[in-house]
Amino acid sequence: MLMVDWFMATTILLPALAGFVLFFVGQPAIRRLTVLALSVILIIASLLVLQNGPFTYSPRPLAGVAWNQLLVAGDAVLVALFFYFGWRARSGLIVGLVALQAALVAYLEFALAGVAADNAPLFYVDHLSIVMALVIGIVGSAIAVYALHYMDHHEQHLRVEPSRQPKFFFSVLLFLGAMNGLVFANSLPWLFFFWEVTTLCSFLLIGHDGTEEAQRNALRALWMNLVGGVAFAAGMILLETTAHTLAVAEIAAERQAGGALLGLAFLVVAGCTKAAQLPFQSWLLGAMVAPTPVSALLHSSTMVKAGVYLIIRLAPGFEGTLLSPLVATAGAYTFVTAAALAVSQSNAKRVLAYSTISNLGLIIACAGLNSALAISAAVLLIVFHAVSKGLLFLGVGAIEQYIGSRDIEAMEGLLRRVPLLTAVTMIGILTMLLPPFGVLVAKWAALEAAARVPLAMLLLVAGSALTVVFWTKWMGRMMSAAPSSQRLHVESLSPLFSIPLVGLAALAILLTAALGWVMSGLIGPAVSDWYPTVGLASGDNGLVSSVGAFPVWALLTVLAVLVVVALVASPVREKSVRAVYACGENLAESGDTDFRSIGDGTQAMSLGSYYYVGVLGESKINRWANPIAIALLVSLMGVAIL
Amino acid sequence: MNIITTARVKSPWILHFDTGSCNGCDIEILACLTPLYDVERFGMINVGNPKHADVLLVTGPANRRNARVLRNLYEQMPAPKVVIVIGTCGCSGGVFHNCYNMLGGIDKVIPVDVYVPGCAAKPEAIIDGVVLALQRLAERSESKPALAEALA
Amino acid sequence: MITPSIALEILVTVFALVVAPLAGGLLFGIDRKLTARLQNRIGPPIVQPFYDFIKLWNKDQIFANRSQLIYVYVHLGAAMASLVLLVWQQDMLVILFTLALGGISLVLGGFSVRSPYSQIGSQRELLQMLAYEPMLVLAAVGFYLVTGSFLVAAVFARGTPLLFELPVIALSFVLVLGIKLRKSPFDIAAAGHAHQELVRGLLTEYSGRYLALIEMAHWYELLLVLGIISLFWANPLVVGFGLSLLLYFLVILIDNAVARLTWTSMLKITWSWGAGLSVLNLAAIYVLSYLGWIGG
Ligand code: SF4
Repeated sequence: MLMVDWFMATTILLPALAGFVLFFVGQPAIRRLTVLALSVILIIASLLVLQNGPFTYSPRPLAGVAWNQLLVAGDAVLVALFFYFGWRARSGLIVGLVALQAALVAYLEFALAGVAADNAPLFYVDHLSIVMALVIGIVGSAIAVYALHYMDHHEQHLRVEPSRQPKFFFSVLLFLGAMNGLVFANSLPWLFFFWEVTTLCSFLLIGHDGTEEAQRNALRALWMNLVGGVAFAAGMILLETTAHTLAVAEIAAERQAGGALLGLAFLVVAGCTKAAQLPFQSWLLGAMVAPTPVSALLHSSTMVKAGVYLIIRLAPGFEGTLLSPLVATAGAYTFVTAAALAVSQSNAKRVLAYSTISNLGLIIACAGLNSALAISAAVLLIVFHAVSKGLLFLGVGAIEQYIGSRDIEAMEGLLRRVPLLTAVTMIGILTMLLPPFGVLVAKWAALEAAARVPLAMLLLVAGSALTVVFWTKWMGRMMSAAPSSQRLHVESLSPLFSIPLVGLAALAILLTAALGWVMSGLIGPAVSDWYPTVGLASGDNGLVSSVGAFPVWALLTVLAVLVVVALVASPVREKSVRAVYACGENLAESGDTDFRSIGDGTQAMSLGSYYYVGVLGESKINRWANPIAIALLVSLMGVAIL
Repeated sequence: MNIITTARVKSPWILHFDTGSCNGCDIEILACLTPLYDVERFGMINVGNPKHADVLLVTGPANRRNARVLRNLYEQMPAPKVVIVIGTCGCSGGVFHNCYNMLGGIDKVIPVDVYVPGCAAKPEAIIDGVVLALQRLAERSESKPALAEALA
Repeated sequence: MITPSIALEILVTVFALVVAPLAGGLLFGIDRKLTARLQNRIGPPIVQPFYDFIKLWNKDQIFANRSQLIYVYVHLGAAMASLVLLVWQQDMLVILFTLALGGISLVLGGFSVRSPYSQIGSQRELLQMLAYEPMLVLAAVGFYLVTGSFLVAAVFARGTPLLFELPVIALSFVLVLGIKLRKSPFDIAAAGHAHQELVRGLLTEYSGRYLALIEMAHWYELLLVLGIISLFWANPLVVGFGLSLLLYFLVILIDNAVARLTWTSMLKITWSWGAGLSVLNLAAIYVLSYLGWIGG
């Protein structure tokens, strides 16, 4: 029992510590060694926590100083930093928000101190926390390793001198530590502290490149997340005064009402800001200016996942109240709207960003549906989305370094140019899109859980259909290739690229193959800790819910057999290859898609995708989408007061 | 006839290519599709895509401009395939004979199996021509060496 | 250990996999005959699709690239798998997802060749999926609301036909069938027989054996959709079959009576008249079950 505290402490403190070391020690070799070693340790530590199972923990006072006093000091440092950033940017908005937040937190910590007898443990580690820690440990580490090579190339490309990597890795590692703290914390003020540290890290990372655009977007991310921070602080005050506790486990243990429910609504709004739900989506879209590993980190294992984690964590506390269906509707609304917005994007990173927002909406919708089945779907999504989305960002980042563009149109025929990168990116998309992979299993569970909540169900149905469109269009661009019988020539990648990429791709597939174990060993317990059943159980050939069944293994087997049959049965013979039909005007019989045009001139055939900007463009949709989103969030509060 | 040959004969999909005819013969071909002649009862479909076609119907003569297109379309058709020329100008050049840009009949460019003369060719003659072509197809399908050659 | 019940299950599965394409092909043959008669023609024999299939299978194999071919197998396999899932009375949503897997696969096949015809065809096929997917999923939700389960088995376990509670959703399958069969007015991604569109849309670059396999997948898909329609009157199933054939002939009639639409009109019609009315049907179910008039 003593040991597991140390494992947990390791996952929080060691990354932060390593971050500080790297901040001062600039040698690349030391950096590499530290990050690699830390990754291994993080993964092992989170696995050990998993093996140990749930526990609670309150650290003894540190050298006679109570931890709550340390917390006050920590909060003060954060406030000072945020205030400095706001003041430096001459942003009245940020300064105002920081002041408001500081006032609320000070009120909570001083005026309300002792209102509730706080003897709840500081850390409460249950299966949900463990699932999160695993995601952070494994996916986060993969991204950190990938960043080692990526940042070298990135700085070379931008001619950054002297290297700013010490600062970069400081933020990245601190981020991982803060995330682990966030998922293990039981005391809301502590959770809030880690929450604000992630805000700080994301601000530093988004602005890392120092361009004007980066600065602007970083500031936007800062103020939006500070809005979330204010909502968080307000929620805490409401909970402290009405429910008389700030222990997450106690709040979630019983159904809240009145002021406490309003407090929960505030926390849900805070979660929505962090998860970049409409109308707060613009900070996550702006975050793309940062180097790609940052996007990967923000989108998959950290930051946005903190938002949905908080909502899932608190969901049992508002189960059965009117807040539930409203949260479901708000989440489902973001799910469908972000999916529609993704259709019109040709920038691969923007497509990924909207897809993240959309999937987080789905997770929040599941939290709102608030049944065992729905929560199972939510946790499944957290896990599988983290792996696939992390993989996709890393893939796109590597592709960008190879072809110098992140535009989907520039990715035409990528399969022939960089087959390995294309393959891992395709695996990322396919595991997001196709049955029987985990994300789709989660969608299936979500739809089945939503069938009795009419509006949420409708939105989910529409959103699922739109999702198919933007993913498939993108894959289509990468697959599009001129006639050829040639074998693919696999490009060579740095092992710092190929190991995280291939590792995550393999993980995305293996996790589906091991879905039974994932369900019974990880997700089932995370759900049954708080709900009467596990929602989804593993059956004979797949997963079984109370209203349906998903034969995962049967389908996975069929898919594997089909791919093998197809590979064996499709002959590649030079003489079988013909040019595409071009009304008889091809220039060469094969291999060439140029054609002869007027006056015997040569015309290059250029193809492009459809983006439906006239119907689904950002300017068209945002006009009504953001007001509706705001109305939904306001109604969230309203319904809690009722 | 074995089943494969039967299927080949019963399912001729047609690509119609006009190399520059006067359109007289084209109209007669379209007439074949109308309820009066209804060639679809023989399984014929006008597919408009060489990759799906078994029969190439050509109207018009071969000239310097269209020869390469004709060859390209012919090569994009998967074997076994047959070529039918409809109309006198496709058979020999017809009224365009001796024009400055003429090569002559279609057989100057690609191998032709059936010639349907007439200016314009009647629908009955066109259908007769197709039936004749299908016999050629059947022969080719039955005789192993010829088929091997066609598929090579 | 093969028990009699497993043996029976295997037998039924094999039977379905063999009979479905035969029945599907024959139905397409009847379609062509009927269309010809509607146009005052004689038309081809009803076994024509099989002649076409055998001929295509024995053509020379030509293609543009290898990845194009891989998708055909996944397309066909997914269509077969979804039919098997239906026969096994599995989860409706999973059946639909598997069907979508096959659809996506074919779209990728169209995209994987650098041909303007097949790529535009693929884009349009995606729009077609966007048009019919919501209707299919809403139908599954309707099944659930009435039977309390997403399993097809629950439909059979129920005595009274679903048609009474879900008449509008049943009717929406006219649209689904029309799109799935690429019939006018929805034949925008690729059109059959003599209705050319974009040469042959996303099928333009498939020929010979691969076109034959796609054709076969089409037969399976036809049987799958007809099978789903039959569920609206599952006891006795014969009535359900009759119902599905009725809708099938309705679709053929519409095919011969109307012209092709643009994709915008298609989406408008399917989302308003198709999905919209389905939603009203569902709303009625919600209200009625709230009032306690129907169980579920
Ligand atoms: S043969 Fe006579 S009718 Fe036919 S295309 Fe030539 S010129 Fe015209």
